[in-house]
Amino acid sequence: MQWLRLVWRNLFRKHAVDNTLDEEIRSYLQLLVDEKLAAGVDSETARREAAIELGAIEMIKEQVRDIRRGALLEGLWTELRQSIRALRHNPGMTAMCALMLALGIGASATIFSVFEAALLRPLPFRDTGRLVELFETRLDRGMNEVAFSEADFWDLRDRTKSFERVAAYHSNEANLTGDQPEKVSAPQVTVEFFRTLGVAPVLGRDFSAAEGRANVAILGNKFWKTRFGGNANVLGKLLRLSDKSYTVVGVLPAGEPWIDDQVYLPFPYHPNADRGSWEFSAVGRLAKGVTSEAAKTELHRLAELLAAANPKEDKGLGFNFLPSRRWIAPDSTRTALRFLLAAVGLLALIACVNVANLLLARGLARQREIAVRIALGAARARLVRFVMLESLLLSMLGAILGLTLAAACVRVLRTVEIQGIPRLDEVSLNLWVLFFTLGVTLITSLLCGLAPALQTPVRGIAAALRESDRQTGASRRQGRLRSMLVTAEVALAFLLLVSAGLVLRSFQGLLNEHRGFATTHRLMFSLSYPESYGENGRGKQFVDSLLEELSANPDIVSSGAVNVRPVEGPNYGMGVVAASHSLTSASPPWAGWRIITPGYLRTVGLPLLHGRNFNETDKPVWAERGQPPPSHRTVMLSSALAKLLFPSEDPIGKHTLLWKGQGGPDAEVVGVVGDSLERGLDHGPALTVYLPYGRIAVPSEFVVETRGNPLAVVPAVRAVIARLDPNLPLGDIRAFDDVVSRSVSSQRMNSVVLATFSGFALLLASLGIYGVLSYSVSRRTSEIGLRMALGASESSILRITVGQGLLPALAGIAIGGAIAAWLSRYLEPLLFGVQPFDLSTYAAVSALLLVTAALACFVPGRRAIRTDPAIALRLE
Amino acid sequence: MPSSTNIALLQGTLDVLILKVLALEPMHGLGISRRIAQVTNDTFQVKPGSLFPALHRLEEAGWLSADWGESENNRRAKFYRLTKRGHRQLKQETDNWSRISAAMAGALEIS
Repeated sequence: MQWLRLVWRNLFRKHAVDNTLDEEIRSYLQLLVDEKLAAGVDSETARREAAIELGAIEMIKEQVRDIRRGALLEGLWTELRQSIRALRHNPGMTAMCALMLALGIGASATIFSVFEAALLRPLPFRDTGRLVELFETRLDRGMNEVAFSEADFWDLRDRTKSFERVAAYHSNEANLTGDQPEKVSAPQVTVEFFRTLGVAPVLGRDFSAAEGRANVAILGNKFWKTRFGGNANVLGKLLRLSDKSYTVVGVLPAGEPWIDDQVYLPFPYHPNADRGSWEFSAVGRLAKGVTSEAAKTELHRLAELLAAANPKEDKGLGFNFLPSRRWIAPDSTRTALRFLLAAVGLLALIACVNVANLLLARGLARQREIAVRIALGAARARLVRFVMLESLLLSMLGAILGLTLAAACVRVLRTVEIQGIPRLDEVSLNLWVLFFTLGVTLITSLLCGLAPALQTPVRGIAAALRESDRQTGASRRQGRLRSMLVTAEVALAFLLLVSAGLVLRSFQGLLNEHRGFATTHRLMFSLSYPESYGENGRGKQFVDSLLEELSANPDIVSSGAVNVRPVEGPNYGMGVVAASHSLTSASPPWAGWRIITPGYLRTVGLPLLHGRNFNETDKPVWAERGQPPPSHRTVMLSSALAKLLFPSEDPIGKHTLLWKGQGGPDAEVVGVVGDSLERGLDHGPALTVYLPYGRIAVPSEFVVETRGNPLAVVPAVRAVIARLDPNLPLGDIRAFDDVVSRSVSSQRMNSVVLATFSGFALLLASLGIYGVLSYSVSRRTSEIGLRMALGASESSILRITVGQGLLPALAGIAIGGAIAAWLSRYLEPLLFGVQPFDLSTYAAVSALLLVTAALACFVPGRRAIRTDPAIALRLE
Repeated sequence: MPSSTNIALLQGTLDVLILKVLALEPMHGLGISRRIAQVTNDTFQVKPGSLFPALHRLEEAGWLSADWGESENNRRAKFYRLTKRGHRQLKQETDNWSRISAAMAGALEIS
């Protein structure tokens, strides 16, 4: 209490306390004088001696103030007020610094918020360390991540002791009929699926152990919110999914990106399940205390048992698992986001260097003020504190502005969709981001304040007081320091620019890749067929009439259908070999298979290189139920695959074995199709086997080539489909261009973000160079005037002034180049078709920085040349 | 005139000296300074730059209290007096000092 009272008194009744101290010291002086007088000296001498003996009054007061309770607080408060006054005194510089820092801090906060949402936020699963994703492997065929076959999964589930639980997931789509028909993802999961993950429904209940065959459903959180408005009375409702009714029993918590399906249906146990078809994803929860080594050993033993028991299907079988952290985001996203975080760090660093530079310049102008303060007894620590406080204030101002900026950016980010970056719509400036921002702010203030704080003069106070600041050694030292800061800034900017250049070139290269297919004027949409379309050729009938009606439209050039949408669809693949080499081929090439209508190739712009296209005589390679297998099968191959299978022969008329390793059939090659980037722009030419469509192979992805804007024909397409089958949901309507563009959205984001950062870095660096040079020119006005008066030429003046700005920039370019050459190999995963040390990029960046530096030097340089010697000399 | 032997005050020494001289009677700043010089045979010359901070520190610690009064030659001056807690503190410090000085004397073999 006593302590509080004193602090209170010292802080808030400061004036009275100070007055008392003042009076006390005066009385002390008076008593001293009296003492001297009593000793017999004259009053003049007494006064002088007393003053000498007392010493510096202000210093004593300062010392007394310093020992008082709350002195630290009070000092801080005073300094805070002084700092605020100093900042307000110089609004231009304050605004400049705050804006630069706002840029750095705001950009950091934005990138970190994406980073946090995408990578740091955990999945809503219990104890994720024990959670793994299981795969089958066929290492003898070079496959190390294969889905499970149903029988293998059940066997694993029944025998494993290493796992507390395992569960399987089978992707599935269904037509939700009702007031608005909609195609929904409706995977089937074994009843233990959610218990294995350790996630409990937020509403209702989980599947019970006996519910494998029940018609019940659990809704995904997002679907529940969008389709049912997040209404709790959804429990017990009947969903009509592909002509069957399911009762809603539960709703999951939000678990994107991993449990983002719309409806989950139970998958029952089958005693004699299929062993040859790999369709199941499996997850497992390791039992407590079981190491992943032990689990792998057990799985290895199990796989051997299964392979021995089922030699036909399980030859070479193995099992493997990977940790669940991969579920949140693929490694490429991790790399990209980490890289962006590093880049934004660079940007923030450049902003700091710039602010430090500005503060230094201002510190120089205030050198005399500071010298006076020191002479009056201000402790050096206090001056350092003052400078640091100022930069802290600036940083906090910057942080506030920066967070405003970040909030705006986040609002925009939430509305866009970038492939590969999960949970972008959940990005927010939450507590983590605020903590991060606080950290960045503190570091920023430290970095900004450090150089100016170290510059507070120690020696040469008298010199600083006596002379004008032009001649002091301190200012020359400071000039050097400022040049070094410019060097650092240019070097940092170089790093950012090079990475931006490399990533931009990669992106450009990606877009300019020869795609094989044509994307402009193409519309894509997908249909979801009810099960009845698989019977009696109804599906084929529908496709035929749809394509025919579409072709009748004058705005439509051609149309076709395929089972998998190019670029963004899943990949259905198989091993395929030339029939003549089937025995020698140890590891058959893995090729995607696509079921196409004859019109598909022309519609999507793929050329037929040899042979013929499919026609009505070509039938699906599968046997229709109850029918004998087709006697003659036909396929077309992509050019790359044809070259691989038949390196030195004409492939037309040759035979291939499809689904090699699964006892697949023989088929004749009738055509060779041009290569395309079917798996995405960064995947290279895809190996593809084209199969003819037919009654039991009905493709559901449609491509339409239009004469004009592809989206303009959408109403016509809708009308045709509604006329043919009003219950058919139409989904994913997009221009092919848009599909392709979306597939590279993460690369685009990297490019845009890095380009933006680089632009700012360039701006900041040029401001830094400009600041240093214009300051040094203004300081040397009289010197320049003298030189001109003595006959120095304009070019020599330009050389000595501009050189001062260009030299540190050149040094920065050299240093930046060296560091970039060393660091850029970490960029490799983000690059496509460009080497990390791409000489032309480095050269371009150097040139750009040099030109920018020259421009920044130009204005102060011209001012130097225009100096009027007469006026300049008179300034002194 | 003060002698030239002027030992830098040990940390804490000044505080005890101030408490000691104030134990006898209330005194103003200059009086304290002069009395310390006197009782230590001019070994310690207390400068205002050390005296004032020390007085204020002791006052804030609650060992001294201060009042304005009249000096011997009718000047207004701030008089410091020992509080109860100050007396207790002095007692404790004195004990400490005798222990320390005994120990030091022993260690340095001063007879």
